[in-house]
Amino acid sequence: MKSTLFRYISAVLLALLLPQLANAADVVVISHPGTTISAGDVKDVFLGDKQFAGATKLVPVDNASLQDSFLSKFLDMPKSKYSSAWTKKSFRDGLIPPAMKSGDAEVVDFVKRTPGAVGYVSSAPSGVNVAR
Amino acid sequence: MLSATMASMLLAIPMLAQADIEGVPLHGFLDVGYSINSKDSTNPALPGLPNGFNVGSLDIYLTPQFEGKVKTLIELIFENTPEGSLATDLERAQIGYTFSDAATLWAGRYHAPYGYWNTAYHHGAQMQTSVLRPRFLDFEDKGGILPAHMVGLWANGKIRAGGGRFTYDAYAGNGPRIAVDSGLPAPGGVLDIQTAGDNNHQAMVGFNLGYEFGGFADGLRLALYGLRGDVADDSPAANITELNMGGAAVVYLEHDWEIMGEYYRFSDTDKSGGTGSHSSWADYLQVGMNFSGLTPFVRVEKTVLDQADMYFAMQDNGQSYFRQSLGLKYDLNQSAALKFELLNSKFADEPGRAPYDYRSFLAQFAVRF
Repeated sequence: MKSTLFRYISAVLLALLLPQLANAADVVVISHPGTTISAGDVKDVFLGDKQFAGATKLVPVDNASLQDSFLSKFLDMPKSKYSSAWTKKSFRDGLIPPAMKSGDAEVVDFVKRTPGAVGYVSSAPSGVNVAR
Repeated sequence: MLSATMASMLLAIPMLAQADIEGVPLHGFLDVGYSINSKDSTNPALPGLPNGFNVGSLDIYLTPQFEGKVKTLIELIFENTPEGSLATDLERAQIGYTFSDAATLWAGRYHAPYGYWNTAYHHGAQMQTSVLRPRFLDFEDKGGILPAHMVGLWANGKIRAGGGRFTYDAYAGNGPRIAVDSGLPAPGGVLDIQTAGDNNHQAMVGFNLGYEFGGFADGLRLALYGLRGDVADDSPAANITELNMGGAAVVYLEHDWEIMGEYYRFSDTDKSGGTGSHSSWADYLQVGMNFSGLTPFVRVEKTVLDQADMYFAMQDNGQSYFRQSLGLKYDLNQSAALKFELLNSKFADEPGRAPYDYRSFLAQFAVRF
């Protein structure tokens, strides 16, 4: 009886956790090989509160195919709030919102060739830094 | 040799084309509206405020970026005067140098960074929940009692501290004067920020220190601010007043709440008439909540301005008042909003001022692009 109950609870927990784990693995934040940022910096970088890594100016870029997952996972906000936050930031501080790239390939290409670039993709390619 | 040159030119064409396509992004705000105002109940014979449709303002801003740490912010405003003619203004012209995340130094004409509202919303009607700004924080020619703009230097930045962020603004610029139009009913004075230079070489200095909370209090911002400098007027008496303003703001914008309050205390010194110092105050509190794009709000605002203080006595906008607002903002999408607002405004019976009151209904359609 006990083992049946244990198996049942385990199955329910797994069912609840698996989508979260899968979701968490879906978005990887990457940066130019010469730029290192931590996972804790990601929110500040994409909201314009962290503009520099050392002396390097950061250039965040959005990924149209993953933006909703990224905003949910790293910034804990919907797209409307993200857009509104950038309107206020741009209007007050003269900052430019992250450029929108169409997908992983475009983000990886931009990050590899742009010093200070930070983006997010579905799986980490070689030749870039991964935010941890 | 020729073919090599041609080849390099051909290679450059796509790059030029790309640069041309990217250009400098143009952003802006536009609003149109409708208003109905009741007549002054204390003197119904007076014409009162105009009714009907109106074009609010077209605000255009650019943020060209340069290599390295130099950036600029340029803002142009087109709006109608109460008489219906078109007025244009170079609202902001700032050139900045960002030393680090903790320090950016700007030079030029900027939005004076006191309180919260003045820099957060300014001409961005679509961003703010209400149709009108709190009257005492409105623009110099629309009811404001403080310089909404400054020409000078402005340093600002953010520093991580604890779970949140410490923020600061420190600024110095041309002290405003009160331009008195003798052709208007007394007092006839409006703050002039003196874009072309300071008439009395007395800089105005200010600060704004804030803390943005993180964690469980994410969205909460507390701030203290101050502004000091001499203000002269154009009247025959040529009054000079040392403006001393200090204040505090609390803002909470999270979990669909919008709570904003700002308090301003004035202890101004009469430097030409020898009447000593005079105390006044102004504040507002606005509370709103967003329900899936629908944001009802209430606001109360009040000023108690000493009319023995020539800084207020010489300004058309210097009459004490009390206003209650009840409104609704409906976000049609991320870039467009419809707003409706009811106002009850009452102006005080003070030396040199006639009391008056009126009620208003305002509607506004505001977009950003």
